Amino acid sequence: MAAELTLTDVNLRFGGIRVLTEVGFAVAPGQIFGLVGPNGAGKTSLFNCISGHYRPSSGSITIDGVEVLGTAPATLARHGLARTFQHPALRLGATVLENVLLGAHTRLPGGPIEWSLRLRHLTRSERELRTEALELLDRNHLGWAANRRVDELSHGLHKGIELCRALLSRPKLLLLDEPAAGLPHSEVEQLIETVRRVRAEEDITVVIVEHHMGLIAALTDRVVVLDHGRKLMDGTAAEAQSDPRVIEAYIGNDAVDDAA
Amino acid sequence: MFRSPGLFSRAWVRRAITAIAVIAVLAVPLGFDEYTNQNLARIGVFAVAVLGLNVVMGYTGQVSLGQIFFVGVGAYVTAYGATHGWNIGVVLVASILIPGVIGLLVALAAARLGGLAIAMLTLALPIVGVPLAKRLSDYTGGSQGLSSAFSSAPEWSGLYNDQWQLYVVLVVGGAVFLLTRNLVRGKYGRAFAIVKSNEAVAASMGISPYRYKVLAFTVASLIGGVSGFLYMAVVQFTSPETLSLGHSVTLLASMVIGGSASIVGSLLGGAYYVLAPQLANHVDPNTTELLQGALLLLVLFLLPGGLVSLPRVIARKLRRNRPTGGADRQQSSSGAPARGRKAVEEAPTMSGIPTGRPE
Repeated sequence: MAAELTLTDVNLRFGGIRVLTEVGFAVAPGQIFGLVGPNGAGKTSLFNCISGHYRPSSGSITIDGVEVLGTAPATLARHGLARTFQHPALRLGATVLENVLLGAHTRLPGGPIEWSLRLRHLTRSERELRTEALELLDRNHLGWAANRRVDELSHGLHKGIELCRALLSRPKLLLLDEPAAGLPHSEVEQLIETVRRVRAEEDITVVIVEHHMGLIAALTDRVVVLDHGRKLMDGTAAEAQSDPRVIEAYIGNDAVDDAA
Repeated sequence: MFRSPGLFSRAWVRRAITAIAVIAVLAVPLGFDEYTNQNLARIGVFAVAVLGLNVVMGYTGQVSLGQIFFVGVGAYVTAYGATHGWNIGVVLVASILIPGVIGLLVALAAARLGGLAIAMLTLALPIVGVPLAKRLSDYTGGSQGLSSAFSSAPEWSGLYNDQWQLYVVLVVGGAVFLLTRNLVRGKYGRAFAIVKSNEAVAASMGISPYRYKVLAFTVASLIGGVSGFLYMAVVQFTSPETLSLGHSVTLLASMVIGGSASIVGSLLGGAYYVLAPQLANHVDPNTTELLQGALLLLVLFLLPGGLVSLPRVIARKLRRNRPTGGADRQQSSSGAPARGRKAVEEAPTMSGIPTGRPE
């Protein structure tokens, strides 16, 4: 079941600095939702609020109608939320497959005593997940790299590995933090294709933080534009791109004045 | 963790090798003299202690300076139980569980503080432990310590004491090594590793860093308790000196020298703990400590990954000396060209022809 995400009047403060002010929007189940805005607008901070890594000072965040504000990130992950990070956070010395398998942590049964005894049903589920992880890597054109060490591979591949790791947890809500950052054009095309396929194949809601307007325009059903921690507008990507407030936020006041 | 498919990956071959290894190990106590057997038993005792330290520090990345405290508590519980005529099974369970519970309580507090707090709190354990052992003389025998010869060979076995004790170490220690190896692979191994490398990522994978730190620390204390039981079985005497801070630091050095986050490394660490002082003493009794320090620096300088990385380092050296091997290495280690090459190789996959991946 794809998740429904609702934010209402979310405020986040670090000491005296207001990072987010009264941000609110709703993401319908199965949508691909874009979160855009210039550097420092508070996109990643908002992401961290949703995934539980930051605790907003006030407001409400619900997933499928359940209030999750203040819930620990590990608990949220167990309830179907998965995310990637702006800078891929992988274990560099481990293989690609080991990194991806980490995503299946919540799907593996058994406690520490059972795993110490290496009970048969545990080794079986581990084997099944390995097969599933390899298939997932194959579908994302990474099958060949499964047994490579992560530090032998490029930044673009790291992003793909992180996406596979998040997908292996079978999330109902997937947060992608700047998936296209640092990717060459050809890989962005592939990424767009991948996210589309994921949405088509899995019952999943996707929220994307991104600078790459091409990717946002190609993928998202709706977007929210943030600037200085406030919601500037929401609508479709096309509306956002033609909205003068958005252009102003991105390029600056002077540019708009000059153009006028 | 992954071997290329071949002879050694077949189940029956591996099972046969395991069986031969177990038989060979079980024959060891019968084949050596008393001095060697005692040394081997002591290596086993401290290999178990290092293994516990590896769970919390090597695998999970939490600095613990208190491992010897749990070894000491295990030894004291064993000595107390044995001198009070407890059943040996009860002694074993108590010598594991009591340090485990203490470890759990310490970890519940320390892991919440995070960062260096765990190191500081564990540092306090041996510092508090030594005077405590002296003070609680009703239970610990005070500065005199406790001795108990509960591990003498029984009549029916027909073994010498040193042989019997080595068997105790091999069986109990072997079981602990096996259970720990199972734990640090698979689900829990991956969870410990990500807590060590990135707690934010761990949390977003559903792994609470706090709970897993507490778990690792508790497991380390339980294993420390086992080591204490074995210590008492082999040395048959414990005193406040057993749990002094100096030993804890040596355990830590042994873990690093043997190989951090490695099962075999723990075994090598135990060997270092027992043999390094003997070796240094053999060379020059007046400068034992200095020689040990030099040995420590030498190993760390030449093998930063510990003794366990020696085969890997040698293999790499050999490969570098072969000109063709060197070229191959260069190509595979730089991402872009390797990927280009692979993309060409993988072209059939994308056009829909399935590859021969084993199901």
